[in-house]
Amino acid sequence: MLDESEANVAARERLSALLDGELEQRAVTQACAHWRDSAESRSTWHAYHLIGDVLRSDDLARHPARDTAFLDALRAKLADEPVVLAPKPLETPASIGLPAAGRAVAGGGPRRWGWIAPSAVAAGFVAVAGVLTLTRPGLLPERSEATSAAQAAAPASFAGAATLVTNPAALAPEPQTFVATGQVIRDARLDRYLNAHKQFAGSSALGVPSAYLRNATAEVSGR
Amino acid sequence: MLFRPLSALALAGAFCMVTSSAWAQASAAAGGGDTQARDVRAWLLRIHEAASHRNFQGTFVVSGGGAVSSARIAHFCEGPNQFERSEALDGQARHVYRHNDVVTTLWPASKTATVEQRDLLAQFPALLQAGDDRIADFYDVRPQGADRVAGRDVNVLLVKPRDAYRYGYRLWADQASGLLLRADVLGERNEVLESSAFSDVTINVKPQPDTVLLPMKKLDGYRVVRPLLTPTKLEAEGWAMRQTAPGFRQVSCVKRPMDGAAEGKVDAAASKPEGRPQVLQTIFSDGLTYVSLFIEPFDPQRHTRSMLASVGPTQTLMQQQGDWWVTVVGDVPPATLRMFAKGLERSKKQ
Repeated sequence: MLDESEANVAARERLSALLDGELEQRAVTQACAHWRDSAESRSTWHAYHLIGDVLRSDDLARHPARDTAFLDALRAKLADEPVVLAPKPLETPASIGLPAAGRAVAGGGPRRWGWIAPSAVAAGFVAVAGVLTLTRPGLLPERSEATSAAQAAAPASFAGAATLVTNPAALAPEPQTFVATGQVIRDARLDRYLNAHKQFAGSSALGVPSAYLRNATAEVSGR
Repeated sequence: MLFRPLSALALAGAFCMVTSSAWAQASAAAGGGDTQARDVRAWLLRIHEAASHRNFQGTFVVSGGGAVSSARIAHFCEGPNQFERSEALDGQARHVYRHNDVVTTLWPASKTATVEQRDLLAQFPALLQAGDDRIADFYDVRPQGADRVAGRDVNVLLVKPRDAYRYGYRLWADQASGLLLRADVLGERNEVLESSAFSDVTINVKPQPDTVLLPMKKLDGYRVVRPLLTPTKLEAEGWAMRQTAPGFRQVSCVKRPMDGAAEGKVDAAASKPEGRPQVLQTIFSDGLTYVSLFIEPFDPQRHTRSMLASVGPTQTLMQQQGDWWVTVVGDVPPATLRMFAKGLERSKKQ
């Protein structure tokens, strides 16, 4: 009897130290195992947390049933939310941009969200393909929302080797400039102007090879 | 007895050398600016001469803007004729052949060919030979010693811009022939924006013009596109440049179809200039670099967003100006492009 209670006391002390973050590494595993195996340990753990919360704030001194009711209500509300971007939920419901909704989507069948996947891919593709954008509030005020949405989606949907690097040092007045690096799917219209320009730069002062070949590299990625 | 004339000769020789070097130094000190300008012209002319008149072939690699691509190129010169051949080694297969000012580009994958008349803007030698020292006004060219590129000994030249409207260059020119073996474009903070170099080169090869002429003529099985460029004048189109960036002068102005040469939808009507939207392209140069200004009517369908794009050393600015869509492209800092766009004004209504 005495040993049991001593063991209990020791276990409770370990639990209390774990709560305070003062337990050494070796004992942590032991304490966690004890928590897992013993229901009494779990209720003690809950009690310790409750004591701490109540001491810190009056609002937290509530009946536990209220918490579970709240969580259930939240889950129900999230299940009703429309999912904006989510891949076809086959095995894992990983979603782009809305992690909370993803868990709710797992319940719904692929039939319901089947159209999401291609549009998500298209949206991501457009965001990456139109990687060079600039918001100029003076000239195009009505477009600012659209471009800012595209820019928000672009960092999230990161496809291929495209990198978006903002270059703040170069332009102070302009809000953003995009530096295209790597094998970026460049805007086809941009390429047309580049090709037309490099036609003449081919006979550059610095000798035919260098500018002539830059012509080659620009056209290769453009076709 | 023999020693006396020999030693006298040696002494005379040494004396001559000493005086000539002193004289050279004196003249250099006296006409410092002139000498520098002359040297600049001489160095750059030699580089350009070698590229036009030497026979060479090798593998050329361009790395910049995060991308690396290489091509096998060859250049032959026979009398007044120049032949060039370039074969892209990365990405889509593409062969470019040039005979003087006719350029044929072949894409074997899509069986498309374009035949274009590219005006060889002989502006660079003209600018220099006319004694126009604008290059020395805007760039400071100085030697930086010797180095070795592609197994050959080279002289290194640093071309530093005197203002913030252009980029700098570092050039590696072959000592024996003057051919440019490597060129780096340096940005505002002296960072390398792009590096183009021969990884291997053979100079003074035997010229083989048939390897260029035959593929240019043999175009069976290829769909041939011949875009047409119409030379014109900026004023005739109703435009004027109120101001350009310092040092830049207009060198060319053409009207051209803009939908690309091989878009995949080429038909007989499309190859005529009237059948496609025309764009006015004006080219300005400061002697070393070029800026192209494209003007076309504003079309909300095609011109959806203005942008400033940067690919390696090439900057592109696109924006709407009134009823027109203006695109400025060049290997210059963005501030220069903006200056060009601002300096454009409509002189009369059409």
